[in-house]
Amino acid sequence: MRFSLVIAAVLLSMALLPNCMRVTDGIEVDVAYQPAATPAAVRTDLGYRVRLDRAVIAVGRVELIRCDNFVLDLWKLVRAARAKAHEFSSPTSLGVPLVIDLMESAGVPLFAGTLRPPPGRYCGIRVIGMPADQDAEGLTDENLDMMQNSVVIAGRVEDEAGEDQAALLAEIWEILPCEMRFDRPLVFDGPVVESVSIQIDLTKWFDGIDFALEDSTAVQQRITENVRSSLQAVLPSKEDGL
Amino acid sequence: MIAALLAPFPIAAGASACGTCGVGDPTLTIVGFEQPKSQRVRTSATVRHRNDRIGEAQIDELRLAEQRMELAGAYSPSDRWTLSLMMPLVHRLVSAVNLAEADIWAPGDLEFRARAVIWRDRKFAPRHLVSLIGGLEFPTSSIERDAEGVPLPLEFQAGTGSWDPIAGASYTMFSDPWSLYVSSIGIFPTKGTADTKVGLSFRQTALGQFQPWRFLAFQLGVEFRIDQPGYIAGVRDPNTGGHITYGTFGLVGLPHDKVLLHFTAAVPMIQRLDGSHVEGLALTAGLVYEI
Repeated sequence: MRFSLVIAAVLLSMALLPNCMRVTDGIEVDVAYQPAATPAAVRTDLGYRVRLDRAVIAVGRVELIRCDNFVLDLWKLVRAARAKAHEFSSPTSLGVPLVIDLMESAGVPLFAGTLRPPPGRYCGIRVIGMPADQDAEGLTDENLDMMQNSVVIAGRVEDEAGEDQAALLAEIWEILPCEMRFDRPLVFDGPVVESVSIQIDLTKWFDGIDFALEDSTAVQQRITENVRSSLQAVLPSKEDGL
Repeated sequence: MIAALLAPFPIAAGASACGTCGVGDPTLTIVGFEQPKSQRVRTSATVRHRNDRIGEAQIDELRLAEQRMELAGAYSPSDRWTLSLMMPLVHRLVSAVNLAEADIWAPGDLEFRARAVIWRDRKFAPRHLVSLIGGLEFPTSSIERDAEGVPLPLEFQAGTGSWDPIAGASYTMFSDPWSLYVSSIGIFPTKGTADTKVGLSFRQTALGQFQPWRFLAFQLGVEFRIDQPGYIAGVRDPNTGGHITYGTFGLVGLPHDKVLLHFTAAVPMIQRLDGSHVEGLALTAGLVYEI
């Protein structure tokens, strides 16, 4: 019995051992949105002046793209359209929906999250604009319509002479996949921390639109194309990292 | 751990009878499979190694390499009862696809088991034993989290962190040089300390042993396990649940009358685990000391 008590005491004392944990960080890519400063009025390339009252975009997913897989993956887009954003988070994609009010957050970087990809070469990033989840960050009582829309723009358009004015309202409900190439591949072969800034410049959103001649459907279509092409992924310059 | 393992040696130095002689049967048995004999005390130290993979390769895969060091003691107060206590100390290396690693040492769940022989064909050197098994796993482990504070998958935890009753039955046949061990065990986890809920687990073991020499035996067996899914904070862990069957091969040696060594390799034969979950080869090596 004495031996049993000794053994039991030893076993029980092992249960009191403290945990010991050592964590080594791996490859991490911080992603942030960087809305450009919003001027009081945007001058388009056709001479129109757009005075904005509202400009909001909802993004649902960010995904790193391998260099050997830069071709648009239609299946992924279909999945993106069918599922809610929160379901997708993985080491190469962030499924954290975010509503960005471009009138208020201009010039302020908004942290989207950290990707933790496996080693490899990554040539670009895909951002998917999509209607927000009800728990999306940035969703407020004032912008609940972003649960039905990817982009909402409201304001007024003046012609070049400033004589004619017309109301502008664009509500884009489509899923907007935007693919951006980096100016250099990101090559990961060991633990490292990298960052990617996604610049949103709405001053380009109204270029190529002749508001006097095009109907509202055509205007909305051109804005949709301009939103997709205006996003840019920017890596810190190599000097910044030194 | 080494001190704990060696502690019984000087204490028991005065004893002389060998364990297998005392029970009237020469079969080499590891802790848990033995014939109860009044006042029989055994201690053991076991090291288990296993690999586990969860998630999709190159996307969100987590790899686990685990070494589980178990210290155990078994005491038979009578010819029908055996009480055992086992405490694991677990080392885990969890590797993510982005080369991040978590190196964790932590205690696992303390386990108490009682085995009662409810039928035997004769009192001395019985050839057939039927036993009932009952026990409890204590929540001595803690739930580990990653750098973001998210709990690691349940399969990667050192224990369940919950009070888990154990119930089952076993049958053992001794027919020198052959022996057979069959057991059915159910583990019924309760809600864990960190809002975890591991699923019910049923384990079936069938093990045949051939002992051509007094000092060496060979084992061949099958281990089957079926699990219900587990939950963390009410959300199902997708990579839990399902069933797996291992084929096992083992050796048991008796280098000294009081010391028994054993080694087992368990190879996954059939894997039907839920989600993206692959279990690898499991190796076990241990030492049993008969006091």
